[in-house]
Amino acid sequence: MLLRPKAHFGRSKRVLDLREAAMDVLSLVLSLLYQFGTSAAFFFLAAVGLVIILGMMNIINLAHGELMMIGAYTATLTYHAGVPFWLSVILSFFVAAAFGAVLELLIVRRFYGRELGALVVTWGVSLVLGQGTLLFFGPFLPSIGIPGGSFSYGVFSFSAYWLILSLISLLLIIGLWWLYNRTSYGLQAKATMQNAEMAKSLGVRTSRIYTLTFSLGAGLAGLSGALLAPTVTIAPFMGQQFVAPAFITVVVGGAANVIAGAVASSMVLAAVKTPIGMAFGAFSGTVALLLAALIIIRIMPNGLSAPLEKYFNRRAGRAMR
Amino acid sequence: MRTFVGLISGGADIGRTRLFWISFGVVVLLFLLYPTQASAFRVSNVSFYLLNIPLGLGMALLWGYCGVLSFGHVAYFGVAGYTYGVIAGNMSGNPFGPLAGVAGGLLASMFVAGVFGYFVFYARVQKWIIPILTLVLTLLLETFLGQTAGYQWRVGSVLLGGYNGMTGIPWFQVGGFVFEGYSFYYLCLLLVLACYFGLRMLVNSNFGQVIVAIREDELRTELLGYDIRARQWVVFVLSAALAGLSGLLYVQWGNYITPSQVGLLQAALPVIWTAVGGTTSLLAVAISAFALNWITFTLSSQGNQYAMVIIGGLLVATMVFFPRGIVVMVAERLGRLMTRRAAPPRQP
Repeated sequence: MLLRPKAHFGRSKRVLDLREAAMDVLSLVLSLLYQFGTSAAFFFLAAVGLVIILGMMNIINLAHGELMMIGAYTATLTYHAGVPFWLSVILSFFVAAAFGAVLELLIVRRFYGRELGALVVTWGVSLVLGQGTLLFFGPFLPSIGIPGGSFSYGVFSFSAYWLILSLISLLLIIGLWWLYNRTSYGLQAKATMQNAEMAKSLGVRTSRIYTLTFSLGAGLAGLSGALLAPTVTIAPFMGQQFVAPAFITVVVGGAANVIAGAVASSMVLAAVKTPIGMAFGAFSGTVALLLAALIIIRIMPNGLSAPLEKYFNRRAGRAMR
Repeated sequence: MRTFVGLISGGADIGRTRLFWISFGVVVLLFLLYPTQASAFRVSNVSFYLLNIPLGLGMALLWGYCGVLSFGHVAYFGVAGYTYGVIAGNMSGNPFGPLAGVAGGLLASMFVAGVFGYFVFYARVQKWIIPILTLVLTLLLETFLGQTAGYQWRVGSVLLGGYNGMTGIPWFQVGGFVFEGYSFYYLCLLLVLACYFGLRMLVNSNFGQVIVAIREDELRTELLGYDIRARQWVVFVLSAALAGLSGLLYVQWGNYITPSQVGLLQAALPVIWTAVGGTTSLLAVAISAFALNWITFTLSSQGNQYAMVIIGGLLVATMVFFPRGIVVMVAERLGRLMTRRAAPPRQP
C-alpha cells in the first residue's frame, strides 16, 4: 500500500468524487420517487372510501372525513388499551363499516337519486359527529408513534412506515379490482350501478347491495384513517385535513371508472404536489392541487377516468372481436 | 309602477296575499321601533342576526332557484371582510376610506367568484363537483389566512394576523357620519330589505324564470336558446356579492375577523339556514337565517357546547323529515288554515 504511486492516488480520488456525485444524484432521485410514491399513497388512501361510495351509488359522502376520524379513534383507543397496532387497524375497518351500515339504513337510504340532498345531509352528519366527538372525548387523544423505524440513503432519510403504506395502497387496489371483477358481490354491485331496476328484476337484492357498498366505503375510510393515524394529530376535527385532498382526488378522477380514476388522479396529483411542495412549501403544494383540479376539469369535465374508461372499453371490444 | 308591483308579488316566493303584506309591514315596523325599546347591547345582537341574512339570501338564490349548491360562500364573505379591513385600515383618517373598502371588498369577492365560476360553469362539470370544489376553496383560504401570523404578513399598515385574525377594523362611515350602534342597526335593516326586495323582483323577472328553468332541466333550457353557462355564472357572482355584503357588515359590526370565519363550521351555516328555511323561498330563508343565528348566538353565549350538534342535528332532521324546509312547510300550513277560515263567509 505504501508503494502506491501518486498518480494512481489522484485518479482514484477523482473516481471517488464521481461516485459520490452519482450517489447524490441517485439518492435525490430516490427521494423524489419516495416523495411521489408516498404522496400518491396518501391521496389514494384519503380518497378510497369516498370513491367506492361515489362510483357505485352516486352519493357524495361529506361525512367521509369523520368516518376516517372514527377509524383513527378506534385504532388509537384500542392501541393504547394494549391491542397490537395492525390488529387495531383491522378492528377500525369493522367499526367504521358497522357505523357506515347504520348510517346507510337510517339516513342515506332516503337520498338515492338526490345527489345534492345527500351531500347536505351527510354534511349535517359530519357536523354532529365532529362536535359530538369533541364533547365526548375532549379536544385530542394521545397519539400513536410511527411504527417501523426509518433508514437513510445518502443525505435523505426514508420512513419505513410510509413505504408500507404505499405497499398497502397497492394491495388495496389489487384487492378492490378482484372484489369488483371476480366475485359475485362485485358482479351484482356493477349490475345495480348500471341499471338498478333491471338488476332487481333479475333477483339482485339491490338495497342490500347499497348497504354493503356504503358499509365497505365507510370501512375503507376507517381503515385509511387508522393507517394514517400515526402520522397526524388525533383530534375531533382531524377529518378536515383529509377533506381537501380526498375530494380533489375524486373530482380529478371522475366517476366513470372510480378505481382507475382514483389511481390515475392520485398519481397526477402527487406529480403536481411533490415538486411544488418541495420547492415552495406545503401550502403552495395544496394551492397547486386546487389549480390543477380546476384546469383538469376544465379540459376533461368528467375527470381522468372518462378517457381511461373509453380506452378500456375499446380494448375490451377489440379483444371480443 | 304596475310592473314593479307585479315583479314584487309574482309567483316566485311565498306570501302574496293582502294579509301577508299587512303582517310583513307590521314586522318591519316592529324592527324599526325595536331600538327605542331595547338596550344597545341587544340592538347590536339583532344587527348581527340581520347582517347574516344577505349571505342566506344569496345561498337561496343560488341553490334554491338556480340549483347550484355551494359550500364555500363563506370564502367570499371572508375575502370581502379581509379586503375591507386592509383598505379601510390603510386609509384610516380618510373619511371616504371605508367606502373605498366596501367597493374593494365587493369587487374582490366578485372577482374570486368570477374566476372560480368561469372554470366550473364553462367546463359544464357535473352537479356534485361545484360544492366540493367550493368547499376546498374555502378550506384553502382558511389555511392560508391561518398561517399569516407575524410582521411579514403586513399589507400597508394592516397585519393579517394569522389565527388571531385582523383586529381594529374601522367602522363604516360616509364622509363624517360613522355607522355604529343604532345607525348601524338601521343600515343593516335597510340593506336586508333592499336585498330581499331586489332579489324578489329578480326571481320574478324573465331572468329569474330562466334560472328556475335551468334548475329544472338544463338541457331543455339550453335547447330553448338560453346560454345556461353565462346565466349560472351571473347568479354565482351575484350570490358571492351578497355573501361579500354580509362579510363587510360583519367586520364593520365586530371590528375584527378571524380565519375561522371561513372554516368548515361557518361554511355549513348558510347551507343549514337555506335547508331549514326551504330552498324555494327567499323569505323563508331570511326568516330561518335570522332565527338560527339567534338560536346559535344565544346558545353559545350561554357557554352551551351543544350548539353545533343541535344545528347539525336540525339539518339532518330537516333533510330527512321536511325536505322542503321547515319555514316553508309552516307557511303553507298557515296559508291553508287562513283560506279555510276565510272561505265560508265568501262562499254563500
